Amino acid sequence: MKRCARPLLQVPWLLLAGFFLLLLIQIAFHQSAITQKSISYRPLSIPFDASIYRGLAMGSEQLFSYLLAIRLQLHDNQAGRHIRYSQIDYELLVRWLDQIQALNPASEYPIMLASRVYSQTMDKARLRIILDYIDRIFMANPQLHWRHLAEATVIAKHRLGDLALALQMAQKLSNQPASIKMPAWARDIHLILLGDLNEYETAIAIIGGLLKSDAVSDPDEKLFLQEKLLYFQQKLSE
Amino acid sequence: MMGQTISLFRFLLLGVINLRLFALVSILVIVAGLLSSFITELAIVNSDEIAAALLADMLRYSLVFLALLLVTTSVAQDFEFKQFERLLTMPISRWQYIAAQFLAIASISSILVLPVLPVISLTAGFDIAIYWTLALWLEVLLVGMLGLVAILALEKIPQAVFFSLAVYLLAKLSGLISQMLVESVKLSDGAATNRFADMVFNGILNLIPRLEAFAQNDVFFGSQNFAAMLMAQLGTVTLYTLFLLAVALIDFYRKEFNI
Repeated sequence: MKRCARPLLQVPWLLLAGFFLLLLIQIAFHQSAITQKSISYRPLSIPFDASIYRGLAMGSEQLFSYLLAIRLQLHDNQAGRHIRYSQIDYELLVRWLDQIQALNPASEYPIMLASRVYSQTMDKARLRIILDYIDRIFMANPQLHWRHLAEATVIAKHRLGDLALALQMAQKLSNQPASIKMPAWARDIHLILLGDLNEYETAIAIIGGLLKSDAVSDPDEKLFLQEKLLYFQQKLSE
Repeated sequence: MMGQTISLFRFLLLGVINLRLFALVSILVIVAGLLSSFITELAIVNSDEIAAALLADMLRYSLVFLALLLVTTSVAQDFEFKQFERLLTMPISRWQYIAAQFLAIASISSILVLPVLPVISLTAGFDIAIYWTLALWLEVLLVGMLGLVAILALEKIPQAVFFSLAVYLLAKLSGLISQMLVESVKLSDGAATNRFADMVFNGILNLIPRLEAFAQNDVFFGSQNFAAMLMAQLGTVTLYTLFLLAVALIDFYRKEFNI
């Protein structure tokens, strides 16, 4: 059976007025919070130590590390807007990447975010922080991260315009022992950079040494090096 | 005697299965599948592995919770409808009730976990699916037994569920809690209260299952020795289940029923 309701006007007017006042305050408060949220950039929080995340993962460390990486990746999208990378604190960002990497050392996700996403910044200081991070992570596991250091070399040369830094990173690639499996082009990047730096004599010496030592067995790579040797010799004689 | 136990087990199992279990499991699988496929859209690399691992973990936690609710509800109904009093007027021993409950929990675990095999098989491959299904069965069985002990002792569903979940989470977060306590001892320069808390927690750790008792989600991200992992889990779960059975029997034999 439906219970009958008394007319609204029978409710004490003070109670009605109070209700409408509170309703208006609630709406105004909600709207102000939305406006505040949409205009203010929420900065990155300070990450915990990887050991804390390991404990929080409840046995699913690798999955947790990926979820943290995705959360970090989504940080530059706030309130439906894409945040400029210049607003992000890159020192803090690298701390996050470090903790995620420490949680799951076999993962390429953090270094991939660094080389493909966060390297898109126009700010050179921030770009240097990211390149330094890639360099550091590469040294921890060259076999897993050589591709990202090769990318970083290209970024250092073309985006940062720092040939010396690019050469330094390329040399790290070429100095890796033969046990680290990577394509020949990755090891040869530093030869091209030496040419760009007009260091023809050094480049000729290195290529000559490589060809004489029989360290290069691939015919295509041999041909590429011979062509480069000839090119550098011509440049030197000009 | 065995015939009586089996009849009792069948009666208990029917009571649980009548709770539209299959519909619930199907809904869980669909929701977990949809959520994990959303992750595939977000991840830049390893998206399939991440989605499969997330799906597996979501299924794990929802099935564990569901099993806990089923077991505690079933025993709570026995308390409510004076089933124990009725059973004890029959020529049935108390241990037979516990044995029948164990068989019912094992069967419920199988029914709950079985749909996981084709679902994980589709997303991560058959060998991982086999491992995950067996490992999850052991985990659900363990939590179900924990729920049985809790409901027999506490007799109320909310208390029993909270207690079981607390033990489950304590076991899973034991590494983190231990680390925090060790750090607190260091930071307080070895204060007596912090050392005491650390000692008490280490004592409690002896009574909760180790992390090896649970399915290892890392299998979704690289080749692992499934057989070795399963054997380690089987050993831990068997030992802990026997311990829980002993606790349940002692508690149940001590209970007074007004027959």
